[in-house]
Amino acid sequence: MSGTGNCGKCGICLSVCPVYAVLKEEQNSPRARVQLIKAYKNKKLPSSPLLKELIAKCLMCGSCAANCPSGVDHYSQFMEMRSQLIEKHGDRLEIRGLVYLLAKEQRLRLAMGAARMGQAVVPSAFQKKYRLGNIPVKNYPKLNKKPFRAEVPEEIPPISQERGTVLYFTGCGTNYIFGETGHAALKILSRLGYRVLIPQKQTCCSIPMLFHGGVEEARENIIANIECLQHENACAVLVDCPTCGSALRDEFPAMMRKYGLDDAVAEQIAAKTQDMTAFIADHLDQLTFRQEDAEPARVGYHLPCHLKNAAGSSEAILRQIPTIDYVQLANSGDCCGGGGTFFYEYPELSGQIAAAKIASIRESGAQIWLTDCPVCRINLAGQLAEEDGIAMMHPLSLLAGLLDELDKQVL
Amino acid sequence: MLKPDVKMELVAIVGSDRYVDQPEVLTCYSYDSFAEEAMPEAVIFPLTTEEVAEVMRIASREKIPVTARGAGTSVCGGPVPVQHGIVLCFSKMNKILSINTRDRHAVVQPGVVNLDLQKALAPHGFFFPPDPGSMNFSTIGGNVSHNAGGPRCLKYGVTVDYVLGMQVVLASGKVVRFGSKNIKDVTGYNFSALYCGSEGTLGLVTEIILRVVPRPETMQTLLVTFDSLDNTARAVSDIIGSGILPAAMELMDKMTINAIEDAVGIGLPREAEGTLLIEVDGTTEACSRERQQIVAKVQEHGAVTIEEACTEEDRNRLWTARRAAYGVFAKISPNIVSEDVTVPVSRVPEMIRKIVEITDRYGLKAGVLAHAGDGNMHPLVCTDRENHEEWQRVEKAFAEIFQAAADMEGTLSGEHGIGLAKAEYLPLVMDQDTRDFMALIKHAVDPDNILNPGKFV
Ligand SMILES: Cc1cc2nc3c(=O)[nH]c(=O)nc-3n(C[C@H](O)[C@H](O)[C@H](O)COP(=O)(O)OP(=O)(O)OC[C@H]3O[C@@H](n4cnc5c(N)ncnc54)[C@H](O)[C@@H]3O)c2cc1C
Ligand code: SF4
Ligand code: SF4
Repeated sequence: MSGTGNCGKCGICLSVCPVYAVLKEEQNSPRARVQLIKAYKNKKLPSSPLLKELIAKCLMCGSCAANCPSGVDHYSQFMEMRSQLIEKHGDRLEIRGLVYLLAKEQRLRLAMGAARMGQAVVPSAFQKKYRLGNIPVKNYPKLNKKPFRAEVPEEIPPISQERGTVLYFTGCGTNYIFGETGHAALKILSRLGYRVLIPQKQTCCSIPMLFHGGVEEARENIIANIECLQHENACAVLVDCPTCGSALRDEFPAMMRKYGLDDAVAEQIAAKTQDMTAFIADHLDQLTFRQEDAEPARVGYHLPCHLKNAAGSSEAILRQIPTIDYVQLANSGDCCGGGGTFFYEYPELSGQIAAAKIASIRESGAQIWLTDCPVCRINLAGQLAEEDGIAMMHPLSLLAGLLDELDKQVL
Repeated sequence: MLKPDVKMELVAIVGSDRYVDQPEVLTCYSYDSFAEEAMPEAVIFPLTTEEVAEVMRIASREKIPVTARGAGTSVCGGPVPVQHGIVLCFSKMNKILSINTRDRHAVVQPGVVNLDLQKALAPHGFFFPPDPGSMNFSTIGGNVSHNAGGPRCLKYGVTVDYVLGMQVVLASGKVVRFGSKNIKDVTGYNFSALYCGSEGTLGLVTEIILRVVPRPETMQTLLVTFDSLDNTARAVSDIIGSGILPAAMELMDKMTINAIEDAVGIGLPREAEGTLLIEVDGTTEACSRERQQIVAKVQEHGAVTIEEACTEEDRNRLWTARRAAYGVFAKISPNIVSEDVTVPVSRVPEMIRKIVEITDRYGLKAGVLAHAGDGNMHPLVCTDRENHEEWQRVEKAFAEIFQAAADMEGTLSGEHGIGLAKAEYLPLVMDQDTRDFMALIKHAVDPDNILNPGKFV
């Protein structure tokens, strides 16, 4: 576990940790987690269920690492510690189940199919009354009818003059739940003149597994992903989910090294990985948007931690679209409390973290709330009420919907 | 672990969720930002003055040491419970009780984070001047107890200058109130001032009445470089000596600038031997006049470049760079030791020469950083505590630096406090009779020595 020694205990990370902000307890701060890991490593503390809980009560949002002046790598430390503690003390059954599913695309596809049927047969009275984590069951999104990648060909040619080829890593969110994000991405990319390759062999980016101790389970996925994303001609590997982005950029090369494998290809992919909205932002002048909207929709944005901490944001693009009424929410960059499975494991705490965001989107009068991350989206949408009349979507969906009709565009 | 019956009594006061004593959790209260650590036997999170009072009644009856803690960002071991016992952590007692800008005061609980108070004051056009580098995460209770300062304290003064009154729970559990909501108040001893900087050794501060002030109309910021550190320091003492009063005047040496530049790369002048970050605030006219005076002064001392931060963005960029200084040093070595000896501003050039001479002589990697306008030096030494030979050199160097400061009518600490870190050097700046007097007060207030024992008194 590298880097523990360099924590100067300065406390700067306390100021950015969403969990500390709510609980106000040192034991639930990034500094404490680093110190606890150090104590464990130095054999001053044995492993225990409580130690596991203290390490796990964390969103893995990465804000501590992004703001640590001493360059402590919380991420890998936490990940490694989680896996050691899970080995000793186990994990919740459902979480183990999730790791099991994500490890094999086939299992995941089957489970998603079953879950879709499940959603159709669960009585609505049950859906109204019960909560999973802190989210009412009725507020969970409907799963895609068919996985997105099964709906589209592996190669999609551009519909305007060809500029190049890009690879599209769709992530589980788009593949199984929010297929419309994928379709929006394709519409924009092909309009921009890109040939899009969606390798069918791609699978879960593995981050959820890595966060839950599935270091070995993740190996096959990571290798498969690296293999199918290796493509000389592609100028970029695009992701629509910031967490997948951080996996491709940071975790794949690191994990390959950890497995004792060659990291060269993983590094090449990492260097090409870009968030879809950032890629599109660079080409914005080549898109034309509808002008006629008399009453533009009021739009708010939630910046996911994994995008913020990689110095990204879709906000710049939103400011440039003339046909929307973009309102900047003061807390748009604050964590939503979703954190992978955090909202499920610590519902009350997660709800407390989200509360201020929900209040401010309501106050803003926005009809549309954008966010790039599928987990943030499930989490936030889950806490909105129908009466709020706020639709949540990926920025790409909004952009695609605003594109000018093709015949009016100068190609 | 405390005795089971005592534990039961304490749990009865705060409930089982605000009393913790598992070793995993206790570990998290064994440290602050200083090197030494010690485990408490229990941590209690009070929410009200009454709870603190009840805890103290039991602690004094049982003679259990009680150490207060805010955010644990002290750099001198202030909240480290060296004699174990109870850590009273105020982080959850964090309500802003009132803001009254007509009478210019705010009443807060000790766990309020400095930045949260600033955020609450901003819409009223007011601010709370003390701005320690840790303001985004340290608590007002901690700021008061260490009498914290920061860059703009040059013009505005330190925490004690903004404390109008407070409520304190004594060792016995008795609750006392000092001061009032009046800007002027000479009714009896000024106990609030005594408690500022008392580091939790005289009582637990449970409510604070703070003076708040209107935000200045504008701020202007200059970045000035010099080709020698000596000229830089001379410019500082000359500017202050000539009666100009900037809001802040920060000095950074070449090593500091380069370390920051390596880390954040915002185009700071790498070649300069000395750099000053100077800020003036007030009305636009006053700012412009002061800026001109400053420009004339730094030119007299051979300023090489003078850059003005015109936009808010530029200003933020420069201050972010300055605040990053501590951290960027932490990145390049396993440990950094940051001291804060302070000398009268006319001695700043002399003190800086001395610091450079001493750290060079001991072969240490050190940067010089200073809230120069008020003579507050922050020499930063990069080291590795595991390297015993080097660590000994570090200790010797600092002993000499403390001595040098004392010789220049300076003092051991401008803002970080004494705590564990500098207790042994106290005799350098405080004679026996004065130390006895301090002990007398401590004994009168805390006869059993249960309040943050093992520190400087
Ligand atoms: C990166 C960094 C930068 C810093 N920059 C500055 C700076 O520019 N200027 C500066 O002055 N300091 C600075 N500090 C030091 C430190 O942040 C300050 O001393 C701060 O005021 C401590 O606040 P805290 O809430 O962390 O208190 P803690 O560290 O928790 O406690 C400090 C002391 O106060 C006592 N205490 C806390 N609360 C109470 C209470 N309610 N009643 C009685 N006693 C109490 C504790 O027992 C302890 O002795 C810096 C520290 C770091 C890590
Ligand atoms: S910011 Fe980094 S160095 Fe500071 S306490 Fe957190 S982990 Fe440690
Ligand atoms: S990853 Fe996020 S939640 Fe976890 S310790 Fe760091 S800042 Fe806190």
